[in-house]
Amino acid sequence: MKKHYSRPAFVTALVLGSVALTACSSAEEGTTASGGEGSSGTLIVYTNSNGDGRGEWVTEQAAEEGIDIEIVGLGGADLANRIVAEKNNPVGDVVFGLNNMYFETLKSEDAITAYTPAWSGEVDAASGDAEDGAFWPLVEQAIVTVYDTNSIDASAAPEEMSELWENDEYQGRYEVNTSLGQATPQLVLAGLLAPYIDEDGDLGVSDEGWEQVEAYFANGSPAVEGTDLYARITRDEVDYGVIPSSGITSRDAEYGTETGVISPENGVPYVTEQIAIINGTDNQDQAEAFIDWFGSAEVQGEFAAEFAAYPVNEGAKAQALPEVTELIESLPKQDIDYALTRERIGEWVEKTELEYLP
Amino acid sequence: MRGTLRSMFRSPLVVVVMLVLLWFIASFLVFPNANLLISTFFPDGSFSPRALEKLVSSERAMNSLWHSFLLAATLAVTVNVVGIFIVLVTDYFKIRGARLLWLGYATTLIYGGIVLAAGYNFIYGRYGFITNAVRNVFPEVDPNWFSGYFAVVIVMTFATTTNHMLFLGSSLAKIDYQTIEAARNMGASTLRILWRIVLPALRPMIFAVTVLTFLTGLGALTAPLVLGGSDFQTIAPMILTFSRSTGSRDLAALLAIILGLATIVLLAVMNRVEKSGVYFSVAKVATPLQKQPIPHPVGNALVHVAAYILFVIYAAPVLLIVLFSFLDSSAILTGTITWDAFTLGNYATVFSSPAVLRPFVVSVVYSALASLIVVVGLLFVARVLQKYRNPVTSLLEYLLHIPWILPTILIALALLMTFDTPTPLVGGQVLTGTTWLLLVAYIVVKIPFTLRLLKAAFASVPESLEDAARILGARSLFTLRKVLFPLVIPTAAAITALNFNSLLDDYDAAVFLYHPLYQPLGIAIKASTEGENNLDSMSITFVYTVLLMIIMGFTMYLVYGRNAGPTKRRRRRHPVAGATTAGGMAAARGTAAGTAASPLADPVLAPGAERTDDPSADPDRSRPA
Amino acid sequence: MIRYDNIEVRFGDHVAIPDLNLEIGRGEFFTLLGPSGCGKTTALRTLAGFIEPSRGDISIDGEIATRLPSEKRRVGMVFQNYALFPSMSVEENIAFGLRVRKTKKSEIDTLVAEIASQVELTPAQLAKNVSELSGGQQQRVAIARALVLKPRILLLDEPLSNLDAKLRVQLREQLKNLQRELGITTVYVTHDQEEALTMSDRIAVFNHGVVEQVGTPEEIYNRSKTEFVCTFIGAMNRLTGDFVRELQRGGATGLDAGKSSYLRLEKVALHPPRTGTAVVRTDGVVAQRSYHGAFSTYEIESHGSTIRAMVPEGGAEPLAEGSRADLYIEPASVLQY
Repeated sequence: MKKHYSRPAFVTALVLGSVALTACSSAEEGTTASGGEGSSGTLIVYTNSNGDGRGEWVTEQAAEEGIDIEIVGLGGADLANRIVAEKNNPVGDVVFGLNNMYFETLKSEDAITAYTPAWSGEVDAASGDAEDGAFWPLVEQAIVTVYDTNSIDASAAPEEMSELWENDEYQGRYEVNTSLGQATPQLVLAGLLAPYIDEDGDLGVSDEGWEQVEAYFANGSPAVEGTDLYARITRDEVDYGVIPSSGITSRDAEYGTETGVISPENGVPYVTEQIAIINGTDNQDQAEAFIDWFGSAEVQGEFAAEFAAYPVNEGAKAQALPEVTELIESLPKQDIDYALTRERIGEWVEKTELEYLP
Repeated sequence: MRGTLRSMFRSPLVVVVMLVLLWFIASFLVFPNANLLISTFFPDGSFSPRALEKLVSSERAMNSLWHSFLLAATLAVTVNVVGIFIVLVTDYFKIRGARLLWLGYATTLIYGGIVLAAGYNFIYGRYGFITNAVRNVFPEVDPNWFSGYFAVVIVMTFATTTNHMLFLGSSLAKIDYQTIEAARNMGASTLRILWRIVLPALRPMIFAVTVLTFLTGLGALTAPLVLGGSDFQTIAPMILTFSRSTGSRDLAALLAIILGLATIVLLAVMNRVEKSGVYFSVAKVATPLQKQPIPHPVGNALVHVAAYILFVIYAAPVLLIVLFSFLDSSAILTGTITWDAFTLGNYATVFSSPAVLRPFVVSVVYSALASLIVVVGLLFVARVLQKYRNPVTSLLEYLLHIPWILPTILIALALLMTFDTPTPLVGGQVLTGTTWLLLVAYIVVKIPFTLRLLKAAFASVPESLEDAARILGARSLFTLRKVLFPLVIPTAAAITALNFNSLLDDYDAAVFLYHPLYQPLGIAIKASTEGENNLDSMSITFVYTVLLMIIMGFTMYLVYGRNAGPTKRRRRRHPVAGATTAGGMAAARGTAAGTAASPLADPVLAPGAERTDDPSADPDRSRPA
Repeated sequence: MIRYDNIEVRFGDHVAIPDLNLEIGRGEFFTLLGPSGCGKTTALRTLAGFIEPSRGDISIDGEIATRLPSEKRRVGMVFQNYALFPSMSVEENIAFGLRVRKTKKSEIDTLVAEIASQVELTPAQLAKNVSELSGGQQQRVAIARALVLKPRILLLDEPLSNLDAKLRVQLREQLKNLQRELGITTVYVTHDQEEALTMSDRIAVFNHGVVEQVGTPEEIYNRSKTEFVCTFIGAMNRLTGDFVRELQRGGATGLDAGKSSYLRLEKVALHPPRTGTAVVRTDGVVAQRSYHGAFSTYEIESHGSTIRAMVPEGGAEPLAEGSRADLYIEPASVLQY
C-alpha cells in the first residue's frame, strides 16, 4: 500500500522539480543578459504609480520612443525601503511616482543621484528639490476629504476638517485610514500636525496638535480592509473620507456619486510625485533619456489626459482634464514643511500607532 | 552507533551534511539577521531600551498584544472542539456522505487570508446576506453583530481546523481498533469510549495541534483587520507597519521576538508534556479502525445535522468566492446582487493584461524549487539532527528556528542588505538584484515548519530498520535512499505540497527581493488590485483566488487524492501533518510550530512502531515479559 | 570463535557494562540471559557493531573486530521487532543484502529461493508486502534475510518475544533445528529462562552488566553460582534459618544457618527415596495442594518456612490439605550464598 502511495507523490515531486529546473535555467540566462548589474538593454523603472494601467501605458509609450523599460511596481513605503536596502548594489535605474517625503529619504540615504532634466525649466523647481536638484516633479495631487453631494448638501458639509471631530454631528461618520505605513494616511497625519509644529513639543509638535490627532482617530470610523471608501459612502456607513484627488473622477462614474470636496481655508496637503535617477545605475544614459522623455510637456500632457492627473510641467497643464484642473485650482495648498515632515514622519507614525489609533 | 560527536563525524555523509548546513545557517540565517538586529537594537553601538519603554507605555500596543494572546487561547479551545468534531465525523463515526463532508471541511486547505475573511464578511457581515435575511424577519437585530472578538474567533476557528484534519486524522487512523472493541464488549457507551479510549489515545496529537492553533492565533493578521473592528485589533498589523519604517523597526523586532519567545516556551512545554504522556500502541499488530455507528437515534440525527451545518459553513465562502469572481465590484461591495451584475469581465481583465501567465509561471517555479530544495535538503538535515543528539546538533536545530521568530519582511530586508556587497560566505558573489535571493528567502522561511515535520517523520521510523540495513551491508547513503526515504516520502511529499501552496502568492518576501524581470504572483496580484482608480480590485482578487485555488487544489490532489481506492481512502488522506495555506508570517509561524515528538507519518510496519525511545536513556532494550 | 575481552560500554556517565569477558565457541548456540536492563542486548549490539565499547576488544575468528564496522563483520541479526523494511516486499527484504553486494540477479533469485524453502516461506508469500504477514511469518522473513548472506554468526535479539505462547514454543524448536542444520554460531538474547534452558548449548546469565555465571543449562540450573542466578532461573524455596537449623538437627552437615539458603521445588520429596541417597527428614503441615496432571505442587508449613514441593503423580496417595507431611531433603541440594 505504502508503495503505491508514495510513488506517484515522488514522481510528482520529480516532475515538478525538473520543470522548475529548466525554467530556472532559462531564468538564469535572463539574469545575465539583462539583470540588475547588466548595463545593456532594459531600463529598470521603479514606481508606485503603475496601477490603473499606467505601468503598461508608460512601457508602451517608451518602447515607441525606443526606450526599453521594465516596470517594477510596489507600494510607496515598500518601494522606498527596497531602494534604500539595495543602495550598495542597485537593481533599479530610475524611480518615479513617490512623493517628496520618500524622495527626501532617498536623497538623504544617497540612493538617488542628481540630474537636471531637459525640461527642468518647464517646472517649478520648488515643487521638487530646489536646493540640489536631486529629484524633479512630475504630477501633483491634492489629498482631499470628500463626500457625496447626492446625500449631503454642500451647506451641511463642514468647512474645516476639524469640525469632523469637534462636532458631534459627524461623530463616527467619517472614515479614518489607519494603515499608517501607506503614503496617503501619512500625508493626512502630516497635514493634521502641520499647523502645530512647535520645537518644544513632543516630537516637534505641540500638545494641541497631538490632541487633534487623537480626536481625529477617536471620532472616526476606521477604514475597512478591502472595502473602498465610496462603497462605504454608497451604503451609508460613512459620509466623509480622504482620497487623493486623482481617484475622484472614476469613482463618480462607477458609484454614481457626485463628489463634493471640503476646501479648508488653510488648504489641503498636496503631494508632488517626483522622478530621479537611482545612484549607481549602469544605465546612466538610458536613464537620462527616459527622464527627459517622460517628463517632457508632450508625454506629461498625454499622461494627464489618459489618467486624470495634474501635471507640474507648465507645457502639459493645458492637456489635463478640465474637471481636474478646476478642482486642483480651487484647492489652496496647505503649507507643509516637507523637509521637516520627512525627518519626523517616522516618529509621528510610531507615536500615533502606539497611542492614538483606535 | 550512538549520537556522540565522535561517531557523528565518522560518517562522510554526515560530515558533508553538517558542513553544508553550517555554511547555510551561518550565511543565510545567522549573519543577515544578526546584522539587522544589531543595527536595530544597537543603533549607536550601545543598547537602547527605547523600544521596550515605548511598547510598555502604549496602551494600544499592550491591548493588541493582549488580544493576540486572548485570541490564541480562545482558539486553542474552539478549534479543538470543531476540529475534533470534524475528524470524528469524517473518520470515526459512520456518517452518511462522510466523503462529501470531508471535501467540504478540506476547503480550508486551499484558501485563507483576506479572501477568507472577506468571504465570511459577505455572508455574515453588515451587508452579508445572512444578516440581511435575518434582519428581514427580526429588524431589531444589530447589523454589526458579526464583528469584534466573537467574529474573529468564529472565522479563525473554521479557518484553522486544517491541522486537525491532517494531524489528528492520521493519529486517529492509528488507534488500535481492538481497544475500542474491548471497551464495547465491557459495555461502554459510545460517548464513554470516545471520552475514555479514543480521545486519550489522541492526546499527544491534540497537544501538538493545540500548540499550532495557539501560534496561528498569535500571528493572526487579516481576520482581525477585516472583522475585528476597533475593539479587537491584534498585534500582527502593528508589527507589519513598524517593520516597514526604519525608525520603528526596533519595535517590530521586539514585538516579533515576544511572539517568538512565546512560541519557544510553548514548544518546550509541549515537548515536556508529550514526553511524559505519549501513548504508544501496545499491540504488536494493530487492528485497523472501523467506523462506528451511533446507536442512539436522536444522537445520530443530531450529529448528522451538526455535521452538515458545519459543511455549509465551510463550503459557503468558497462557493461565494467563485460566485463573486463573476460579479462586478460594485455589486459585491454594495451587497446588491442582481442578474445583470454577473459578468466575465473580471476574468477578461485578468487575462487580457499582457503576460498574465508569466507571474504564475514565475511563482510556480520559485515555489516548486524552494519547496523541493528545502524538503530534500532537510531530509538529510532532519535525519542527522534526529539521529545524533549532542550539544552541537541541538544548537544547530535552535538556529534553524530563527525564521519562526522574525517576520518574513525583516528576513527579506536582512538578506537584501547583507548580500548587496560581495561576501566571502557566498564565494564573493553579490546576490542582491539576482534571481537567487528570493529563492534563498523562500527556502529560509520554510525551514522550521519542514524541519519539525520531517524530524517527526524520521522519529517514527524504528531505529532497528537502520541497524538492519547496516548489518546487511548497506552504506548510510544507500540506507537513507532505499530504507528510510521511502518511509518518509509521503510526509515529505505532503510538506512539499503545503510549502508550495503557501509560497505561491507570497508578497512579504517578494516585495523586496524579486528580480524586476521575474515578477511573482503575489506582486502581480497586488499590482492588479491596487491603484486609485482600480475599482475592481476585490473582483480581481477573487479571480486570482479562484485561479490559485485551482492550482493548490491540484497540488493537494497530487499528494492526497490520487489512487484513492475505496478501501484505502481513509488512510491516504493522512500522510502527514499539514498546514493551512494562508500565506505570510502568521501561517508560517503558526503552522510550523511544534509537532516535535509526535510520530506524524503513517504508521510504519506495525511491529516496532513503538520503538522511539532514546537509547541513552535506556541502554538495554530488553523488554519485560 | 567470539571473544569479549575486558569490554566496557558507557552511555554518557552510565556504565552499562563494566568489564565483560566471554568466549563463545564455533557452532555454539550461546544465550545471553537476564532481566530487563541487565546489559545483554548491549552486549549483543556491541558484537553486532552498533555500539562501540569504551574499552576492551571484541574478536571474531581470532581477529580483533572492535573497530570493524558492522557490515564488515559478517554477522547476521534478527531484531526483536524484525525490522523488516515496510516499503519492500518479502522478496525484496530478503534480497536486500545481496543487492547491496551487487550480486547478479540470477544468483539472487537462486539464493532467495533456497533460503525461503529452508525457513518454509512459499513463493506466494515472497511476493507479499511484509505488513501482510503474520508475526510468525515475519520472523521467518527476518531470519531468512539474515541468513541469505551466509554470515559467520547469527545474532538473535529476543526474536520470539513478540509472538504468542504456543507459537513461541513451536518456533523455538524450529529455530534450534535450523541452527543445528546450518551449524552456525548463534548468539541469542532473551529474558525467558525457559527459552534459554531449552535451546542453548551454553548460557551467560547477566545482571547489572555483569556476567554472573557461564555454563551449560544443567550447570546453570543445578549449580547456580550466585544467589541471583539461582533465584532468576527456575522456581526456588527460600529457606529460613530455623528450617536450616532443623535440617542440621536432622543430621545435615556442611550447611550454615546464617547464609541465604534455597531449595528447588522438585528437590523436596514427601516420601523416602528408594535409593540410598543421604536424606534428612523433617515434618510440616500441608497448607495447599494443586493438581497439575503429571504432578502436583504442595505448600507445606514447616519450621517457619513455607516449603513448596513438586511431586510426580501416580505414586503414593496424595496428601490432604491440613494433614501432616514428612519432608525428605538431600542436604547437598540446598544452595547457600
